[in-house]
Amino acid sequence: MIKPRFDELIHAPTRLSIVSLLAATEWTDFKFIRDSVGLSDSALSKQLTTLEEAGYVEIRKGFVGKRPRTSARLNSVGRAAFEQHVAALQEIVARAGASVLPD
Amino acid sequence: MHEELRPDEAARALTEIRQRQEQVIKLAIIPTWYWWAIAGLMVGFSAAIDSHRRLAVGIGTSLFVIGVLTATGWVVIGGLRRAQLRNELLGPIGVLAILGFVATVLAVSLPTAFALQAAGLRYPATLGVLVGAVLMVVGGPLLMRYLRRIMLAKRAGSQR
Repeated sequence: MIKPRFDELIHAPTRLSIVSLLAATEWTDFKFIRDSVGLSDSALSKQLTTLEEAGYVEIRKGFVGKRPRTSARLNSVGRAAFEQHVAALQEIVARAGASVLPD
Repeated sequence: MHEELRPDEAARALTEIRQRQEQVIKLAIIPTWYWWAIAGLMVGFSAAIDSHRRLAVGIGTSLFVIGVLTATGWVVIGGLRRAQLRNELLGPIGVLAILGFVATVLAVSLPTAFALQAAGLRYPATLGVLVGAVLMVVGGPLLMRYLRRIMLAKRAGSQR
C-alpha cells in the first residue's frame, strides 16, 4: 500500500512530465526527454539538476563512439516519491468524486 | 500547495502522467512493418531452400540473415537508444504471451510443412512457413496490443 504524499518538487508542470517519462523507464536518453517535453537543452539540464539535487534522479554521461550521450533515470527514492505523489493526486480526485476523474 | 490543489488540477496532472507514460510504452511496441518484413524474409528463405539450387540457397540465406539483423536492429536499437523500458512493466504474463506466440507459430508451421511433405506436395517448407508468416502478420500486431495493455496496467498510478 503506497502512502499518499504530495510532492511539490515533482508537481511543477515540467518536472511532472519529466518524472512521468522516467518512471516508466530504466535509463532515458537526454534528447528523447528534451524532445518529448519540448524543452531547450539548458532548461532540461536545469530541471534534471534540481531532481538530482533532491536525490530523485541519477545522471549518466558517456560516449557512444565519439558522440557524447547523457541519460537519466529515476532512482528508488525518486520512484517512491513519484508513486506517493500519484497516490496523493488520486486521493484528491477520489475525494471529489467521479466527476473529475481523468479519461 | 497541496491543500490548495483543486480536484480538477489533480485530475489534469494524472492525465499528464498517464499520457507521458503511454508515450514511453509506445516506444516498446514493435511496428506492424516489422512483422511483414520478417514474414516476407521467412517465406523467401524457405522458397530458396525448397528450390534445392545452391545459388538460390546462398542468396536466400544471405538476404534472410541480413534482412532479419537489419530489421531487428532497427527496431531494438532505435527503441533502446531513446529509452529503456522497465522490465517490471512487462512482467511474467507478458513474457509468457511472447513465448506462447512464438510457440504457436512454430506449432502450426512445422507440422504443416511435415504433413505437406508426407503428402508429397512440392515446396512443403515454403507452404508451412507461409502459414506461420500469416500468423505472424495477423498475430504480431495483436500481441503488441495485448502487451501494451499489460504495460499500461502496470504503470505507476494505474491501480486505483
